[in-house]
Amino acid sequence: MVVPLISIILLAPLAAFAIFALFGLAKRSFPRQDILSTAAMLVALGCSLYLLTEVVPKPDPYTVEWISLGSVTFSMGFYLDSVTVIMLIVVTLVSSLVHIFSIGYMHGDPRYPRFFAFLSLFSFSMLFLVVSDNLLGIYIGWELVGLCSYLLIGFWFEKDSAANACKKAFLTTRVGDVGMFIGMMMLFKKFETLSLHGTNGIFTLIADPAKFTGDTSDIVWLSGAGVLIFCGAVGKSAQVPLHTWLPDAMEGPTPVSALIHAATMVAAGVYLTARMFPILTPSSSLVIAYVGGITAIVAATIAIVRFDIKRVLAYSTVSQLGFMMLALGAGSYVAGLFHLTTHAFFKALLFLGSGSVIHAFHAMHAHHDEEHAEGNQHEHDDHGLVHEHGSEIPPDQDMRNMGGLRRKMPWTFGTMLIATLSISGVPFIFSGFWSKDKILAGVLGRAMEWNSVHHYILFAVALVAAGITAFYMFRLIFMTFFGEPRNQEMHNMAHESPWVMTVPLVILAILSFPVVNTIWFNKDYIKPPDQHHVQAPQHADISPNNKTGKVDFGFSIFGISEAHAAEDESENADDAHHGHGPAHTIAMVLSIIVAGLGILLSWLFYHKRRFSAESVATTFRPVYTLFWNKYYFDEFYNGVLVALTVWKSRLFAKFDLSIIDGIVNGVATVTRAVFAAFIGFFDNRVIDGIVNRVAKVIWSVGGRIRRIQTGAIQTYLFVVLGGIVLIILIFRVL
Amino acid sequence: MSLQHYLVISSILFTLGIFAVLTRKNAISILMGIELILNSCNLNFVAFSRFVKPSENIVGAGAYVLDGQIIAIFGIVLAAAEAAVFLAIILAIYREFGSIRPDEVDTLKG
Repeated sequence: MVVPLISIILLAPLAAFAIFALFGLAKRSFPRQDILSTAAMLVALGCSLYLLTEVVPKPDPYTVEWISLGSVTFSMGFYLDSVTVIMLIVVTLVSSLVHIFSIGYMHGDPRYPRFFAFLSLFSFSMLFLVVSDNLLGIYIGWELVGLCSYLLIGFWFEKDSAANACKKAFLTTRVGDVGMFIGMMMLFKKFETLSLHGTNGIFTLIADPAKFTGDTSDIVWLSGAGVLIFCGAVGKSAQVPLHTWLPDAMEGPTPVSALIHAATMVAAGVYLTARMFPILTPSSSLVIAYVGGITAIVAATIAIVRFDIKRVLAYSTVSQLGFMMLALGAGSYVAGLFHLTTHAFFKALLFLGSGSVIHAFHAMHAHHDEEHAEGNQHEHDDHGLVHEHGSEIPPDQDMRNMGGLRRKMPWTFGTMLIATLSISGVPFIFSGFWSKDKILAGVLGRAMEWNSVHHYILFAVALVAAGITAFYMFRLIFMTFFGEPRNQEMHNMAHESPWVMTVPLVILAILSFPVVNTIWFNKDYIKPPDQHHVQAPQHADISPNNKTGKVDFGFSIFGISEAHAAEDESENADDAHHGHGPAHTIAMVLSIIVAGLGILLSWLFYHKRRFSAESVATTFRPVYTLFWNKYYFDEFYNGVLVALTVWKSRLFAKFDLSIIDGIVNGVATVTRAVFAAFIGFFDNRVIDGIVNRVAKVIWSVGGRIRRIQTGAIQTYLFVVLGGIVLIILIFRVL
Repeated sequence: MSLQHYLVISSILFTLGIFAVLTRKNAISILMGIELILNSCNLNFVAFSRFVKPSENIVGAGAYVLDGQIIAIFGIVLAAAEAAVFLAIILAIYREFGSIRPDEVDTLKG
């Protein structure tokens, strides 16, 4: 029952895309591609929900052999456990809602059917990635996701910015993918398979001392592979330093942003990291945790100073992804995936909500152009303001043009408020609180368990980032929906969106409450996989008594002493493993405090206007500039990497033009002057001379001989007669 | 009258015919020469048929053989048909070249 269901889940969106492609071959489009794609997604959603009841969480991969090369066999197959099922549901659910929303949002677009076909392909790729049981399948889905994001971000490719953004997204993620591929090959070298599960899978072999001894060189190898595979996730999940493509990806249509940020593209990286959880070693885990923590705080600080509503959300996504990576790196498998799902719902809601706001202004925008003369003065002011900050924000996405929209768009406002409360971590009734709390508790728990300074630092970082998150999310809400309208003319034109757009918002708002996410608290349903090489040595190989040999197990670039952690472990061994008890309480209290603080500050700054944000910005000018310029990542890449590449290309071009071309031209000249001249001379004089002389001789001989032919018939007859007489005479003589 | 007389007459006719064919400047005269040649041949056939007896082992005792005469009649019919074709060719040549002098029709001259 499982295999047919998964096949349906995969094939339905693929079929929707295939139909588009087949009609496209006939240079026409399927009349109702939107309905077709949405229906396919809903079918997949139904099957996923059914799988939830069907699957017992003791999974086996369903595989078939795909390619056999000598002794190595690559298989393709499905692997289904509780996490897979939940991911399937999240992807299909968010994707379905995005489809429905797009029916309203993309209405009237010249490439309307194509948009839905791409959405279908995107969903298929992600679903394929999710259910694959081996790294090869994951990699195929991974690259397909990258391709689809390229197609969708660049959907409005007439805009230069969109064309550049999609190229940037594709190339930046490709940087990480190269690392991922090398990591895969390292695993392949070691285990001679790319399958993850089952008796011959990597996860089984890794626990088998006969196959994987677990000595230092093996662990170093494994750590390297883990970090390199994580590089792929850094690219796809937009972690520092490869995060710059994600905010630019806002150039795509807003539903695409929702899909990328919630269900498909960036979730792929987190999902991959979670899938590779069993092979992570302490050092690769720490790298992941640090990357996640740094991403969380960097992106959050950038988000504070953005004015483009979509950019704020984009950086918030980057920040939240950092949280997830941090959780996975800190060994909190469930927390990371829990946050992935809750985040998927409320971030999709936020994006669709912002899409609704932009849509409301969009209609106005068209109108605005008509009454250009009338609105000229006002527009001028806006642009002056925008140019002052040296950034081009479309007026319909600029929060400085918004304000007071809560009466105009009550549904959008209400649902977005719920999502904001959820992402900010307002306690107890919102899902975001529980998942974020679980992450903080996980990090603090690991810190206390291992007595690790790194994890204490990371906990503090995550806490600050959580506070900032609350601050900038409420800044967005206050600037957009509260206060007085800043741009009266735009405000007058704004209106609530049609029901196809508000219904998905309401559904997502319901999903932002913890009710539906309680499955993550079911410890029987979801069991984190073992990390043999994180825990086993602490319990067995390393102990204070065993100072020889394998003490050095914990190869660590940051120098965590595993032995130290193990000593600590032995002290409070009883509650070490489950011992998030005190950690949980502390983390919960602290997270409530920082969230409250963030919201309070935001309220004071942007609603009450007790403090002026501008004056604070002026006071901390350097910091503000740093945030405003996004830590100069783009400038760094443009100034160093891009410039270096261009310089290198110029160098190669010069090399090509002068040296390679010089050699080629020189050889050509020599050939022409020496060889060709000689051969030409020989041909012209000797060969042609012989031929012409022969022809001339034959010509002159023929000229003489042809005189015999007089053309007079009587001459011929005479010759014939003479011939006969001659023959007779000859016969007579003989 | 013996066979030799006929052969002499036939040779004279044949020679006259050859002479006419090779020397006359008019195609009609050439045709006449050809007729003379043909008729000299016919005369030979008839003469030989009349004077030379075939072996009795072949045709049987006292039998008459008229082969030569029959071939002569064939020859006459042939001459008539040939004259018709020849005259048609001469007409065509006349239309083409405006003349029936064979030395003026020398398009195949080398």
